[in-house]
This record gives sequence, structure tokens and C-alpha cells, in this order.
Amino acid sequence: MSDIEHVYRSRWFEDIPVGEFHVFGNHTFGEKEIIDFGVAYDPQPMHTDIDAARDDLHLGLVASGWHICAVWMRLMVTYMERYATGVRDGRRNGAGIGFQNMQWLKPVRPGHNLTYTYEIIEKPDKVIKERWGIIRSRNEAYNQYGELVFSFEIDILAERRPASEAAKF
Amino acid sequence: MQYWDDLSVGTNFQTGSTTIDASAIVEYATDFDPQPYHLDAAVAEKSIFGGHCASGWQVCALMMRLFVDTLRREGIPSAGSTGVESLRWYIPVFANDTLHATIDVTDLRRNAVHKDHGEMHCEITVLNQLDARVIKLNTCMLIPCKPEGDSHV
Repeated sequence: MSDIEHVYRSRWFEDIPVGEFHVFGNHTFGEKEIIDFGVAYDPQPMHTDIDAARDDLHLGLVASGWHICAVWMRLMVTYMERYATGVRDGRRNGAGIGFQNMQWLKPVRPGHNLTYTYEIIEKPDKVIKERWGIIRSRNEAYNQYGELVFSFEIDILAERRPASEAAKF
Repeated sequence: MQYWDDLSVGTNFQTGSTTIDASAIVEYATDFDPQPYHLDAAVAEKSIFGGHCASGWQVCALMMRLFVDTLRREGIPSAGSTGVESLRWYIPVFANDTLHATIDVTDLRRNAVHKDHGEMHCEITVLNQLDARVIKLNTCMLIPCKPEGDSHV
């Protein structure tokens, strides 16, 4: 493990700075996965039926917004596994408590490749159950044309440093 | 069939219900959210959630399914959503929980971009079999407006 990975893996809430920015993954949406997700969870014609999706508003098949969220989660989990101590046993995993300002700005179509980013924008002054702090991040996804297609702000719990642990920085 | 013009603020829709079993939780988690408390019941017992529970994003997706099925039942053709103003996860959804949702129409507005569609703003609350609140969100769907000259009433 490199020194920098070691630093990230041992971070507590207190160690995560506002302003930190990550490009954490990318994904190409395939036609089949768009339809499979739509059929299971969001059976509107523009997500499930190539012909019916060709209406004046959608102009062809588009991914469900909740599919774009699901891929965000998948890429985030993969990325965080590299950085957070205890992910494998679930000990340090913080739960999401909510999000705001989620916008699906542009259609995501078969073959589109999205690059996902997040920036820590705020650490609200609030302690949850004497153990957790809140990390608020702005999350965005850009398509292969560099257009912003998706954005939201999410609040996720991060474990605060126990009194028994001395500050490392 | 109902157009945007036929809708009213204050209308409430009750969705059907859906039960999520352990294998459905694991299937979604394997694809999209492979964290221990979604994949492994034994590990989940000791986690922050205290049991084998669904990804919060799967709960959102199940909410969407209940919502879409309800619009279809009501004869309201939906044309997608522009976003979610806010969403809160309150309690976990555990294996074999049964979910349903209540949908309140909170506002109806014309859409600035799509002149032949209107916005239906909704507050949606998903509840479990004990009627405990699971998630609550505010979202907006695009609904086709009545075509000009349509005599349908």
C-alpha cells in the first residue's frame, strides 16, 4: 500500500476536507441493461421499448434516472473500497440519509459513456447518535460530449474519530 | 385517459404493494450496491442497519415501479421526470418487507421547454407493512397536455 492510500484508508469524519474533488468512475450504458432496468423498475415506454421511445419528446431509448443513480452507487462502492477502512466488514460504512436537487438534465442513451465526479461541499455541524458526522457532496455526471447530464447533493454519514484514537494529521 | 389538464392539486393516489425478498435484495446489490449489509445476512446483523436490508437506491427504484404502475392504472400517460427536489431515507427495508406508497399532487405547472407537456409535482411517501415511513420525496413528472381542438372531456 502506498503512503497516500494508507492516509485515505485511515480517515475519519474529521479528516475529510471540504473542497476535496474526485473523478471516481465511468460507465457506458448498453441498450440491453437500459431495457432490463426499465422493465424491472421503471416501465415507461422510453425506457423499455425502442420503437415507442421514438416520440417527439424522447427521440429514442433513454436510461431511467434511477438507473443512472444505481450506476453512481456501483462506481462509488468500487471507488470507496480502495479508500475506506473496514468496508469489507461493514463497520465503517456510512449510510446515506438523503439527497436534494437531483436533476436529470440530458438523455442518457445506449452507447453513452458517463464520467462521475463528486466534491465535498459541506460538513453540517451535527452529530448523529454520538458516532456519525454528515458529509455533504455535490455529485455530477458528464457524457462523452462533456455535457453535464446528471447532478445532485447527497448527505452521507461518516464515522467520527473515537476519543481513544489520536489525530493522525 | 387523463391529460395534464384533467389533473387536480390535492389529489391523492394510493399505489399497490410490493414485497421484496432476500434474493431480490442480493440481486440488485450484486449489480449496483455490493456492500456487506445488502449481500450477507450474517454480516448485516452486526452492521449499522441491524439486519439484511435493501440498497436505498433499490427502494427508490421500487418506489418508481409503484408510481409508474399507479399512473398506468389511472390512465395518466407519463413522459418521464426532470428530477427529485429532495428525498430522505428514514428506516431500512428488510428482507420480506412489503412496501406501498401514497402520492399527493402538490402543484401543476406548465413546462417552460416542452409546451405540449405540463409538470405534475408530487410528494410521495413509501411505507412498510407496519405503516412506518420508509422514504419521502418530492418529484415532478411530465404529463402530456390535451391536444388543441381535442373535444375529449
